[in-house]
Amino acid sequence: MQKNNDKPLFEVKNLTVEYHSGDAIIHAVSGVSFDLKPGETLGLVGETGAGKTTIARASLRILPEYSVERVDGEILYNGEDVLKMNDGQLRKLRGEHISMIFQDPMTALNPVKTVISQIAEGYREHHQCSAAEANQVAIKMLEMVGIVAQRANDYPHQFSGGMKQRVVIALALACSPKVLIADEPTTALDVTIQAQVLDLIKGLRDELGTAMILITHDLGIVADVCDKVCVIYAGRIVESGTKEDIFDHPTHPYTQGLFAALPDLEHNVRRLKPIEGLPPDPSEERRFCDFMDRCPHRCRECKGFDKNTMVEVSPGHYTRCWRTEGKEA
Amino acid sequence: MVKYVIKRLLIMIPLLLAVGIIMFTLMNFVPGDPAQLALGSGVHTQEEIELKREAMGLNRPFVVRLTEYIGNIFLHFDFGKSLTSGTEIKYELMSRFPYTFYIAVFSILLTIVVGLPLGIYTAVHANSLGDKASLFITLLFDCMPSFWTALLLVLLFSLNLRWLPSSGASTWKHFVLPVIANSLGGLAGFTRQVRASMLEVIRSDYITTARSKGLKEHAVVYNHALPNALIPILTVIGMRFGSMLGGATIVEVVFSIPGIGQYLVNAISGRDYNACTGGIIFIAFTFSVIMLLTDLLYAWVDPRIKAQYAGASKRKKVAANA
Amino acid sequence: MPEEIRNEVMERQERSHEGKGKGRHGHHRHGKPQDSVKPGSLKYVWRSVSHNKGAVIGMILLALIVVLCLLSPIICRYGYAEMNIQDWYQTPNPNHLLGTDQMGRDLLSRVLYGARYTLIIGITATAMSAVLGILLGAVAGYFGGFVDSCVMRFLDLFQAFPTLVLAMAFCAVFGTGVDKCILALGITGIPGFARLMRANILRIANMEYIEAAKTINCPTWKTILKHIIPNSISPVIVEIAMTISRNGLTSSSLSFLGLGVQAPKPEWGAMLSEARSYIRDYPHMVIVPGIFIVITVLSFNLIGDAFRDALDPTLKD
Repeated sequence: MQKNNDKPLFEVKNLTVEYHSGDAIIHAVSGVSFDLKPGETLGLVGETGAGKTTIARASLRILPEYSVERVDGEILYNGEDVLKMNDGQLRKLRGEHISMIFQDPMTALNPVKTVISQIAEGYREHHQCSAAEANQVAIKMLEMVGIVAQRANDYPHQFSGGMKQRVVIALALACSPKVLIADEPTTALDVTIQAQVLDLIKGLRDELGTAMILITHDLGIVADVCDKVCVIYAGRIVESGTKEDIFDHPTHPYTQGLFAALPDLEHNVRRLKPIEGLPPDPSEERRFCDFMDRCPHRCRECKGFDKNTMVEVSPGHYTRCWRTEGKEA
Repeated sequence: MVKYVIKRLLIMIPLLLAVGIIMFTLMNFVPGDPAQLALGSGVHTQEEIELKREAMGLNRPFVVRLTEYIGNIFLHFDFGKSLTSGTEIKYELMSRFPYTFYIAVFSILLTIVVGLPLGIYTAVHANSLGDKASLFITLLFDCMPSFWTALLLVLLFSLNLRWLPSSGASTWKHFVLPVIANSLGGLAGFTRQVRASMLEVIRSDYITTARSKGLKEHAVVYNHALPNALIPILTVIGMRFGSMLGGATIVEVVFSIPGIGQYLVNAISGRDYNACTGGIIFIAFTFSVIMLLTDLLYAWVDPRIKAQYAGASKRKKVAANA
Repeated sequence: MPEEIRNEVMERQERSHEGKGKGRHGHHRHGKPQDSVKPGSLKYVWRSVSHNKGAVIGMILLALIVVLCLLSPIICRYGYAEMNIQDWYQTPNPNHLLGTDQMGRDLLSRVLYGARYTLIIGITATAMSAVLGILLGAVAGYFGGFVDSCVMRFLDLFQAFPTLVLAMAFCAVFGTGVDKCILALGITGIPGFARLMRANILRIANMEYIEAAKTINCPTWKTILKHIIPNSISPVIVEIAMTISRNGLTSSSLSFLGLGVQAPKPEWGAMLSEARSYIRDYPHMVIVPGIFIVITVLSFNLIGDAFRDALDPTLKD
């Protein structure tokens, strides 16, 4: 693990993304900030629709252009703002410096191209080399993710879901990126395959020394893989800190709720405790804490809390809830 | 692949047989006596007509005549004789076919050459000014009947500007207006289909993957999106080709081009049932062959379909090569 | 096989849309209450269509044509068959707003009266295709197996001809006239609806909510009435609008070729067929009926397009 005083490699500052859907504006991500140091792994945790994927896509500027209304803030890679890059810089960034593993391996691969050509293509784009050389790299990558070279010339539809995800991983790592964004890499897979794929990602990360942003809704995966965690709720980070901070001292009621909803092997509980209610409508501008409606501790003072501030609970551990103010810090 | 070709051929043959049988049967029950028609205008005695019926074999049972007709078509490519002119329909069709075929081929070429790039451009630049203009124009062209387009073209280019001839089929100049008139409506529809298909592909996940690899935008569009968008477009091209073959009828009439369509229209108006049945069956044959070719091409391009029919031996070979 | 492709595309888009609902952006799931109207349901489609500029223009154009057509005996000063030889070949003027033809008949009255043919033929033939086609497709899709393959092989026969040639073949069999033309176009249009309906039923029958309905012992008729029909009605509406516009083009083409409605009747195609001979000196006789064909076809196309957009919101913007 790296020391904290390293300069961040990748930094997101005050990122805001809005979509339009019909007449409504969807506030997908509001004021999200985090940073990532070389070799570190950050987990973005949150439920479906919290805005995790939007953050990931914004980092590579691959948001669906036709529905994006506004992107604000800064996404800094080595101090350069991704959002202000021109096409050439952006192309150089994508794949070579930052690359992404997509959520659904079924649709992430081009059905009419062989897997080897899809991997080799990215490599050739960034390295001036012959097609044969790029193919060599592609085959090496495939072998690294556990696919035999004989299958390199097959088409995606000839692979199973787990195998496809391995191809997607090979594709993402082909140029040894500095930052890997893994967007729910195991969600679309069978439970039995999930562990394999996760171990593979973990192993490759350690081998290549890549910094990683892991997006997931599975706290178990976070515990397994990450150094730092940001818990996202309704497009905002509600709590962030080291893995230990979050797992041992969850302070935000939402994070606490997430842990309460997990089955516990040590205690015999009759029922798991779900978080009641639904996340708020993302098309509405909200004045109070996003979680207030569902919060078991809500009270009148919640209305007085400026939800744009985060409270530092302990050094590096922030939470977006006034209740912890001055308690532990 | 061979298996697929055989399978498609096996479907096509009974289909064509059925088309022949149905056309012959339908025409057989159309009121009007072929013998009387064959004798030409003028007054004929009952005896004369009866003799003619006998000579034409019309008095034999329906099933016998049907079998003979279908047999002649499939074994000898013989469609019988025209009732009104007495000429062999086969030769008539063969001499007229090139005109119709040229019109259809050039129409589809024009459609592809203009429609494909325009469709791609408008999809890539969706919602731009060019896209909106193209949408508006294609919408309008899509609603214009080809005979009206043809007449307007004649009005402008033949009568006012005197650039191009308005009828006949002797030089290439004679084919310019017919081809444009025949393809304009289809071209508009085709452009919209390409745009829709391309738009759908451009917004799919694997295009995002391609983009996230750092590929250049034109590589994303042409190497990744286009091949996928083209797969459904191939079938559309086949269909358009077919309908332009049929639509050629109209421009042949407008521009007095001696093609099959014109022959068919004259046959129907002149109640020449033999020529009519022959012409329609002939067009159905051509059309089916085009559809067959399209399907084969489709299977050839799409690895998912190709894989279904690729023999086990081929798969082994691929594995051994790799 | 354009129908097949269209269905396939539609199906794919519908699926992708459903996928989106719970997938990537996932915000629809807990959107405003209005978003709870299921995409694809009639209510959703209608709301989307009534907000579509094209559809509104299409409906206004259509309403205009229908009203003018119905009021033509009142607003036109001349009968559609009324000949005034001394007024022949007039270009548009205050007396004859759209001019007159070779027999001095007022083009405005003829064109407005002619709308009846196009509308009646287009709509009746489409209704015929829709009823027969939907029945056939529903039977094929519902019973499946042998019945399905029989119906599909029967439909394949239709697919062996270009549409116009098929319509011409039926005209050759039935003869000319409005009723024959309706019959010819009506039969020609059957496969489109049959394939659409069959694909719909197959698609819907495999949906989870139909399975859910089965598991709670929902009777078959109720499943059909409450689930299958409401969910297949919107694509049928698209097909109806598109078929009417296509029939408008085909019927006028047939009449132009002399195989549909015959010349003295003011059908637009037939009028153009007559006017052809005078194109050199009196182009207005050619231009006027054509514009009306375009407007009519355009109005149905716009409406159909709007419905199609409403069905696959992914392509809308």
